[in-house]
Amino acid sequence: MAGSALRRLMAEYKQLTINPPEGIIAGPINEENFFEWEALITGPEGTCFEGGIFPAKLHFPPDYPLSPPKMEFTCEMFHPNIYADGRVCISILHAPGDDPMGYESSAERWSPVQSVEKILLSVVSMLAEPNDESGANVDAAKMWREDREQFNKIAEKLVRKTLSLE
Amino acid sequence: MPVTLVDRLPLPNLKVYTAGSVSLLSIAVYYALSVTSDPNWRANSTLARQDLESGQGDQRPIPAQLQSNGTRNVSEQFVDVITFMMQEPLCMWTLINIAYCSLAVFGFAVQRLVFGPLRVAEAQRVKDKFWNYVFYKFIFVFGVINVQYMDEVLLWCSWFTLVGFLHLLGQLCKDRYEYLSSSPHTGGWAHVRLACLLAGILAAAAALLAAAAVWGLPAGRDTFAFMAAECVLVLVSALHVAARYALALCAADAAGAAAYYVALGFEAAALLAELALAAAQVAQCSMLVSMASLVLLLQLRHLLHELQARLRRHRLYTALATHMSRNYPMASKEEVEKNQDNCAICWEPMKEARKLPCSHLFHNSCLCQWVQQDASCPTCRRALAAGPAAPRQDAARHPNHLFHFDGSRYVSWLPSFSVEVTRVRPEAALAGAQLDAAAAQLQLMFPQHSRAALAADLARTRSADLTLDNILEGRLPPAAPPAPRPAPPPPRPAPARADASTMAAEPVDGVSRFSRCAAEREAQLRRRKQQLVEAARRRYLARLAPRS
Repeated sequence: MAGSALRRLMAEYKQLTINPPEGIIAGPINEENFFEWEALITGPEGTCFEGGIFPAKLHFPPDYPLSPPKMEFTCEMFHPNIYADGRVCISILHAPGDDPMGYESSAERWSPVQSVEKILLSVVSMLAEPNDESGANVDAAKMWREDREQFNKIAEKLVRKTLSLE
Repeated sequence: MPVTLVDRLPLPNLKVYTAGSVSLLSIAVYYALSVTSDPNWRANSTLARQDLESGQGDQRPIPAQLQSNGTRNVSEQFVDVITFMMQEPLCMWTLINIAYCSLAVFGFAVQRLVFGPLRVAEAQRVKDKFWNYVFYKFIFVFGVINVQYMDEVLLWCSWFTLVGFLHLLGQLCKDRYEYLSSSPHTGGWAHVRLACLLAGILAAAAALLAAAAVWGLPAGRDTFAFMAAECVLVLVSALHVAARYALALCAADAAGAAAYYVALGFEAAALLAELALAAAQVAQCSMLVSMASLVLLLQLRHLLHELQARLRRHRLYTALATHMSRNYPMASKEEVEKNQDNCAICWEPMKEARKLPCSHLFHNSCLCQWVQQDASCPTCRRALAAGPAAPRQDAARHPNHLFHFDGSRYVSWLPSFSVEVTRVRPEAALAGAQLDAAAAQLQLMFPQHSRAALAADLARTRSADLTLDNILEGRLPPAAPPAPRPAPPPPRPAPARADASTMAAEPVDGVSRFSRCAAEREAQLRRRKQQLVEAARRRYLARLAPRS
């Protein structure tokens, strides 16, 4: 079981190294444990997160790709779809069975055809366009709806923090 | 819990224990030497007198010349010392202690040699197994066979120590094998050492079985059965790991039928042996209503449950396998060749494949594992009919039906899976209006592709996402009419957006290279991360500069 997960992760790592999507880097932190990755995601241009480099951790289950990995940002984040502890809440990371929010159709959820690259690209688009219906961070969702200026200020501060400029 | 209590006890570490044991032994040996240096020690020894009274003492006549001049050669003195120590209770205990100590040192050496530092999970498993083992053997010795004499207790203790030692090593081997087989680059040596240890365990278990036959059989069939069952358990668990090694060496599919039946066979054998052992113990219990029989009955119940659960899982597996082979035929050779793609689940090439009704191909074993979780095509998410067509009418009324089974809530190794039966879309819709609409939508995004080509690709992939991937990755060439842009579409939209501003800032260093060496890969990854952050910082400051 774990052997096939490992081969698949190796293939994905290779692909992400040889042909990396713009502004995204991902790979195992220490190859002794191939099931724990770190990813760096560049904040998408033209959004309030532009220019930031956001580090995140990915934990893969032993039966990957049958089950989705878990992803959490390791830097401070303020975003409607990111919990206060950094966990990312997007439908692609939810196994077909569990539906914490109770509104996703299974078509949007995890399938073994998904990959690390697709997850990270989804996260980039999540950064660009928060889904303020899923309230992983209710405060952030509220501010995103009602006080965009304040939200942008906080995001700008986070961007500076990730670049260690503050 | 006794285990937590023991954790808090200040147990000495191995070094202190060894030093203590060795010094105790030397004191005992010194004592024995000083006693036996007196040529008449046999006469003075209380135990010797007792032995003589019972008629089992050392019948050897004391040589006369020894009594006269007292010069004895070393070997005789050695024999004397040993005889004395075996008779004197305190010295006897030091000998037993040193035996345990050397076993501990041996175990420690094996651990250092074969396993290196234990991982936390492994150490925890070994500890759990140890206390569990001690508990049941205590029940066995004092509750089931009800030993009366100290030497009987000692014999059983030493027997269970040896078998338990092998059990623990076997458990470690199993855990370590699982870890090694799931880590990317383990030196061949780690496997060779593990295989050697496995062979050692097998040989030792076989030797113990022989010993049980030699010494246990004369003591009665029951005694032999109890002794043999323990050896068989060790043998089965060690053989299981060895069989998995053999399967891995034959490059068998880890999720294939052969691996499954090997696992089933060994797990069932181990469970049956344990069950037989527990049942025999219950039958042997001298008093039916006692604490021991209660504990054993509880264990029996647990084992029966496990066996039932295993059989139920097996029935599920066979049902699924027959369902798959009946409903999703193997793809023909031409289809697999035409597909030319890797299995989308494991990303490995396909020699044989199973074909779903939506004409997506997957490895048989990959698909089998996925369908246990979710009855839909991984690629296009089209629901697979879980049975005959009956659920379709239901589905119209109840769009989604979710069945979730979380086995780990009951027993840790049970699987958790959920099956979602989703409303099945009529096939015609995808082929007709929906397909046209999707093609039109795609053509809006990619005007250089003709709608017919898009529709054809859609009909092939049956998924707008996949067609989109095909276009983005250049697998679907643009149509012949010269597009305004002479160059073919860039492989990804993103680089086109960012090229002018960022390319200069990002030195592309070995990005298109994937090193074979793990350390090099790690270093490369670190370097790339650093470069990304630095480039982003420069860009950010540059953007800030004109503003301030």
